[in-house]
Amino acid sequence: MIKENENLERIAKEIMRPVGLSKNFILWMSFLGVILAASLVAYAIQLQNGLTVTGMRDYVSWGMYIANFVFFVATSLVGMLITSVLGLTGISWIKPIGRIAEIIAVAFAAVAGLVIVSDMGRPDRLINVFMYGRIQSPIIWDVTVVITYLTLSTLLYFLPLIPDLAIAKTRMDHCPVWLQKLYEILSVKWGHTTEQYKIMLKSVRILMVVIVPTAFAIHTVTSWLFASTLRVGWDSTIFGPYFLTGAFVAGSAAVVIAMYVFRSSYKLEKYITAFHFDKMGKLLVLTMLVYLYFNINEYLVPAYKMKAADAKHLHELFVGSHAFLFWSVQLCGLIIPIILLIFKPFRKPVPMLILSIVILIGAWFKRLIIVVPTMEEPFLPKQHVPHEFMVYTPTVIESMITIGTIVMAIMIISILSKLFPVIPIWEMAEEAENESEHKLNE
Amino acid sequence: MLKRYFAAITILATLSQAKAEEWVVPADKAKKVSPFAFTPESKKAGEALYKANCMSCHGMPGKNNAIPLVPPPPDLAGTVAQSLEDGEFFYKITEGRGPMPSFKNSLSANDIWNIISYLRSFNDKYVQEVARKITREGITEGNIQILFKLIKENKQLQAEVMNTTAEGKKPIEGAAVKLFAKRYFGNLPIDEERETDASGMVAFDFPKDLPGDSTGMVHLSAKLVDEDAFGEVKSDTVFAIGAPTCKPALNEQRAMWNVVQKAPLWILFTYTIGVLTIWGIIFYILLQIRKIYILGKNKEILGE
Ligand code: HEC
Repeated sequence: MIKENENLERIAKEIMRPVGLSKNFILWMSFLGVILAASLVAYAIQLQNGLTVTGMRDYVSWGMYIANFVFFVATSLVGMLITSVLGLTGISWIKPIGRIAEIIAVAFAAVAGLVIVSDMGRPDRLINVFMYGRIQSPIIWDVTVVITYLTLSTLLYFLPLIPDLAIAKTRMDHCPVWLQKLYEILSVKWGHTTEQYKIMLKSVRILMVVIVPTAFAIHTVTSWLFASTLRVGWDSTIFGPYFLTGAFVAGSAAVVIAMYVFRSSYKLEKYITAFHFDKMGKLLVLTMLVYLYFNINEYLVPAYKMKAADAKHLHELFVGSHAFLFWSVQLCGLIIPIILLIFKPFRKPVPMLILSIVILIGAWFKRLIIVVPTMEEPFLPKQHVPHEFMVYTPTVIESMITIGTIVMAIMIISILSKLFPVIPIWEMAEEAENESEHKLNE
Repeated sequence: MLKRYFAAITILATLSQAKAEEWVVPADKAKKVSPFAFTPESKKAGEALYKANCMSCHGMPGKNNAIPLVPPPPDLAGTVAQSLEDGEFFYKITEGRGPMPSFKNSLSANDIWNIISYLRSFNDKYVQEVARKITREGITEGNIQILFKLIKENKQLQAEVMNTTAEGKKPIEGAAVKLFAKRYFGNLPIDEERETDASGMVAFDFPKDLPGDSTGMVHLSAKLVDEDAFGEVKSDTVFAIGAPTCKPALNEQRAMWNVVQKAPLWILFTYTIGVLTIWGIIFYILLQIRKIYILGKNKEILGE
């Protein structure tokens, strides 16, 4: 229960200051809009000519799009990690960044669905999945669980936002009228009553619990799209946890980047402090160590046995045509950041930003390394086909569409963070209240 | 000991190698020619047959894309294959050798000639020689038919070969008849090749345990062996002569790979329970938001 006092006044003012449409924001969105428009043109070309405009052919029928899909699902899982796993264990430093994690979850889960559509040559047949889908197929589980996770994440973003909307709606003279109206509607007549708080907090707790199995399901199912097929490099029993732990690495890196951007462009240094970066740095080290462990498992066991097909696959990865990408990803995306982040100076905001960008890019290419080399080694004789069937080379159009999906996610994040407070005002006020009470008691 | 073993293997390998290199067609068979002239229609029919029966191994004619078997299936539009006589072609396709299957029982002579017609269309230099009409003594032009008769008691199948001409029906004597039962893949020869007696009759002994469909029905097909003399004479029929087999359809039971109506129960159960639980909770949360709204509205009314 928050009290109307100077603490709340000050916090609300500081957090609400960047909210609304600024010139810079419109410029930024137009910039993103231009890139999006270009990628939509690329998509129109793909719709017209079919998937032959991509680098995918008979053997490599999953390429950049599927890797991109896995990346999106992976990154979205961080919402669950931070708000639920850390939140339910009572870790309080996540309070100012929980909403950022949730924004990333919503944006990436929403676009993940679209990324899958980009991989369809005939998206008009999507309806058939719902009409004739077989529930024995991991594809159906994936569709179900992505939609469910998106809904849960949206609710988990929205519910704790309600008190803030109510606090903010009286303090937004600098905002356009339609935004004020939107706040009025979305704040669902919140009156800061004890009863309303009780309902909200209980609902949030329920959501925090049910989102854990859902998030595990979403990425485990994504991994099963691979692991349930008999293919070199995918035919693995630990693919679920392998994907899940990888997801936490990508998501945590994305949160750090967002933290940095919001902190400096919205002047929120008081709320997102060096302390938070330090904590996130430690979290990154933990998630990366677990992921490294799974990586070692995933490559060492087949490499020890060296079954004929595995041997060929691993050869391509370790010293063959994919070696450069493979080692870049493992070193820059995992091993070097782990070593650096163990040292405190690297957990300061700027080095954290740089390392997180490298980790996130590494995470994207890691998905490509999981998808493509396996596709190039089917258990079929490859013969009498053109070179482009044997080796996958993404096209410009494919890359443009992929960039478009990333831009879309950034746009959703930008809009949510610009139109609504990125830091929970009521939680911060509560915190400040507790602190001053603490001081009084001493 | 081991040395001798290897020596034996080497000799055997060399011998089989020699065999793989030469495939000699008996001279009389090599002289055989098609009973009809190749036309665009025969070529077209042959192309369809080729694609269904041969392309999986030999690849597209002229494209040199056969699958790598040992010995390799040659490109049948290539110079080596095209230097074969029509009769050699016919013989090799009917008899087969090693990995090259025999098509004696699954393709008719007409079918095989159609395929040859198709393959010859890749050869500009080819000039066809057509068989002179061969007629057997005592047989005048007419409509030859094979009529079936089932003798249930001793599981014997009789066939009567009759020639209907302007002068009436006449039995054909001394014609060799072959009987086949249709199976999933190709035709299964039943009993031996038999010759008709003076009344045009042949009798085949039928095995007692040949599987039929669920009611014991077997598709049968009889043909005259001497296609040169009689042309393609064939007759099909269905008799309840086999042993009834009631194998359940493969897709009858619930299975992971079956249609959704036949999904395994555990997966139907797990999926449904999972979806209902989580979406039930989502629905509950939406109701809670409504409750917050109603509480706020009541407070507003009271406050005013
Ligand atoms: C299972 C694979 C396979 C199929 C199906 C197959 N062939 Fe063959 N064929 C072979 C192989 C292997 C050889 C080489 C055999 C040898 O030299 O012993 C061959 C040889 C031949 C030859 C002899 C070529 C020569 O130069 O001596 C002819 C003619 C031929 N096939 C025609 C056909 C036709 C027509 C069909 C379809 C009705 C067919 N084959 C289907 C595998 C196949």
